[in-house]
Amino acid sequence: MIEFCNVTRRYGSKVAVRGLNLLVRPGEVFALLGRNGAGKTTSIKMLVGLLRPDEGSIRVCGHDVVDRVRDAVGCLGYIPDSVFLYEKLTGREFLEFAASLRGLSRRESEERILRESQRFQLAEFLDTLTETYSHGMKQRLVFASALLHDPRVLVIDEPMVGLDPPSVRMVKDLLRALAASGVAVFLSTHILDIAEQIADRIGIVDRGELRYLGTLAELQAELSLPHSSLEQMFLELTESNGRPARIEQWRTLGSEPASERKSEGISGA
Amino acid sequence: MATIASADELLPAESELRAFRLLRWRIVRSIIRQVMTEARLRAALIIALSALLWLGLFLMFVDGLRFLGSVNLSPDLYLQTVSAIISMFFAALLVMLFFSSGIILYSSLFRSRETLFLLTFPARVERVFLHKFHDAVLFSSWGFILLGSPVLAAYGVTAGAPWYYYALTLPFILAFIYVPAAWGAACCLLIMDRFPGSRRKFLAAGALVAAVVAAWAIWSTFARTSHDFLTVGWFQEMLSRLQISQGKLLPSWWLTAGLLAAAENMWAESVKFLVLLIANALFFRQVAVWIAETTLRRAISAMSSSPEAHRIVRSARRWQMLERFLIGLPGPVRLFLVKDLRIFCRDPLQWSQFLIFFGLLGLYFLNIRRFSYNMQYAAWVNMLSFLNLTVVGLLMSTFTTRFVYPMISIEGQRFWLLGLLPIRRDLILWSKFAFAVLGTLPPSCLLVFLSDVMLDVDTLVLVGHQVTCLLLCVGLAGIAVGLGARLPNLREESPSRIAAGFGGTLNLVVSTLYIVAVVVLTAVPAHCYLSGDFPVLLQFLSDRSTAQWWLRAMFFGGMMISVVLAAIATILPMTIGLRAFRQLDF
Repeated sequence: MIEFCNVTRRYGSKVAVRGLNLLVRPGEVFALLGRNGAGKTTSIKMLVGLLRPDEGSIRVCGHDVVDRVRDAVGCLGYIPDSVFLYEKLTGREFLEFAASLRGLSRRESEERILRESQRFQLAEFLDTLTETYSHGMKQRLVFASALLHDPRVLVIDEPMVGLDPPSVRMVKDLLRALAASGVAVFLSTHILDIAEQIADRIGIVDRGELRYLGTLAELQAELSLPHSSLEQMFLELTESNGRPARIEQWRTLGSEPASERKSEGISGA
Repeated sequence: MATIASADELLPAESELRAFRLLRWRIVRSIIRQVMTEARLRAALIIALSALLWLGLFLMFVDGLRFLGSVNLSPDLYLQTVSAIISMFFAALLVMLFFSSGIILYSSLFRSRETLFLLTFPARVERVFLHKFHDAVLFSSWGFILLGSPVLAAYGVTAGAPWYYYALTLPFILAFIYVPAAWGAACCLLIMDRFPGSRRKFLAAGALVAAVVAAWAIWSTFARTSHDFLTVGWFQEMLSRLQISQGKLLPSWWLTAGLLAAAENMWAESVKFLVLLIANALFFRQVAVWIAETTLRRAISAMSSSPEAHRIVRSARRWQMLERFLIGLPGPVRLFLVKDLRIFCRDPLQWSQFLIFFGLLGLYFLNIRRFSYNMQYAAWVNMLSFLNLTVVGLLMSTFTTRFVYPMISIEGQRFWLLGLLPIRRDLILWSKFAFAVLGTLPPSCLLVFLSDVMLDVDTLVLVGHQVTCLLLCVGLAGIAVGLGARLPNLREESPSRIAAGFGGTLNLVVSTLYIVAVVVLTAVPAHCYLSGDFPVLLQFLSDRSTAQWWLRAMFFGGMMISVVLAAIATILPMTIGLRAFRQLDF
């Protein structure tokens, strides 16, 4: 469903993403974790066609995001970390515009808007201008617009920003439900609890390189920390605190974690 | 689950076009509704002021064309002269439209979150481009319509043009605007695609080259002629110099020739030029669309990886020195001043425009003797010196509209930071005021001094002009800062779009009226006094010396009224702005 094949992206002389190989299957929730500037947003922007890889290729639903970008973005829904809305449109008008750009008929559009407005509890403010919305309302509206066309792939950059606790709960349940219906969910987040609770697999990126890829249980086994939280393991992997981080130790010792030797999702590190 | 269909099948071009049209219509309707319910007075004021400006320009052009008709010229030479003047006028607008649409498109296409939002949908790139292109055309051409339409209407009135001359004016203008706008768009796309890493330097260099070419054109056109002023020989010599604007391949010439033909009752000839303009407009629009289709996504991707996006600037020491140099000003004002100067100096688009305008004017003033005729006539010299003062004033008003007015809106977007600082909010506004005054006063005083020295004007006029300059700078700064704080646009990120919006237009109109008022108050008495041309006054007064005393009194009286006007222009908008700024939520 989502394939990164040896993808590298540079900003001038800085390598933002280096040799990324990754496969996310239908029905899977995949969480990409990393510190600020690790390369998460760059990876997502390449995935949705806003940035082009300098090397390698990315395919979404079998479509290359450079050569067949419209087909690729046509089958995905994208929720960016900072949302854009037309402030002089009402929520309903915004959703209608999004639906029309997704090729939905007027009738389909009406049905889907009703469905999403119920799901995200938009009804009470759907007919007011979006410039009056709070951050959480905007975020819910963008979620609704990304799901109008029943995407086969959902890409979310920081999914819980600005959402209140009930909305966070609802989004978590929704992402699991979408995955259960066959949607591939790709999310990047700083909030490790969310990844821990809903992700089937996680990827940890550091300075542009995918350092770890696998399930939580596999990571616990790799690090020999059977009852640790994801937060502890993340810090173990990425924070050196005056001593070499575990990833650095692996590199120094010339050994690799078992998950990196798996046939799918091999990092270029 | 959605069925697998290609994006083309999923979204036919017609549906896509309808979606974008509906989007635009809904946004426009929403804005109109808001204006009608929340800002009716404001809208009425801006419409009235714009109408006043239009009427003023129209009357000025009618007067100019009638004056030309009163000079003893043959009908052919008169027509050629009018054609050359209008061609030159539209050729200049052609160049300005090319640059302004390119620059506005750059900010609205490459620096806008809307573009990124739209590109995450399966919309066609060409549709996204056209959506933003039409925005840029609208923003870059309102000034053209405000300046161009009174010229054409004035010509129609003086030439006794038939009704279809007026009917054809709008399609001619629309088709004409499209051509330089499409050129500007195509160049903008190609620069962003080919030179994403040095786009600002490239733009600054391009603007500099254009300025040098413009300076050369002005130099060669207005150099001293071998014939006496306003004689047949002088007209013929000027016509040969203006040939450059009458190149048969220039769209500005097609516009002029087509409309002059309509005014002469040759409708078939006129329609021919209209068709030619429309065909070219559509052709160049298509070329721009083709370029966008292949370059837009690539350019946006390349732009974010260009070194410019990650510039590191090391120049702290000289700014610290400047901060120390600004003794006497309160600490926060100094800090804000240095911050604004830093931003200004680090944006080549800003300082290059400033440098080009003031540089061109300086070049003109330095060569004023070469351009001017009848330097021996005091009246002529005096009039020219006041015209130069007016031009400097208008230039300053564009500076305050383009750079100072949007500062509060831009600052307002970071207001959560400013609002939490332990300083009085008023100081922020006063720092903008100081920035505007310090930014405009030295260059404008220098330019006016240069002009007066080159024209060898009376010392009284020279001192008067320096005082007028000070009044203009202070008043314009007050208007721009006050209106900027009263009418902030906290949602727009592009300064050029903020300046081109409602508040910016109002600022420009109010500034222009203020300049005209101040210059007229000081110019008319001085003009009469120095030229010795005061027949009306002599009718009421017995002797010439008393009349001269009265004129001198009027000159100083005009100055005093100007001082009062400047005080009002500074204090009133600043008071309104300060009040609004204190109540601004963040």
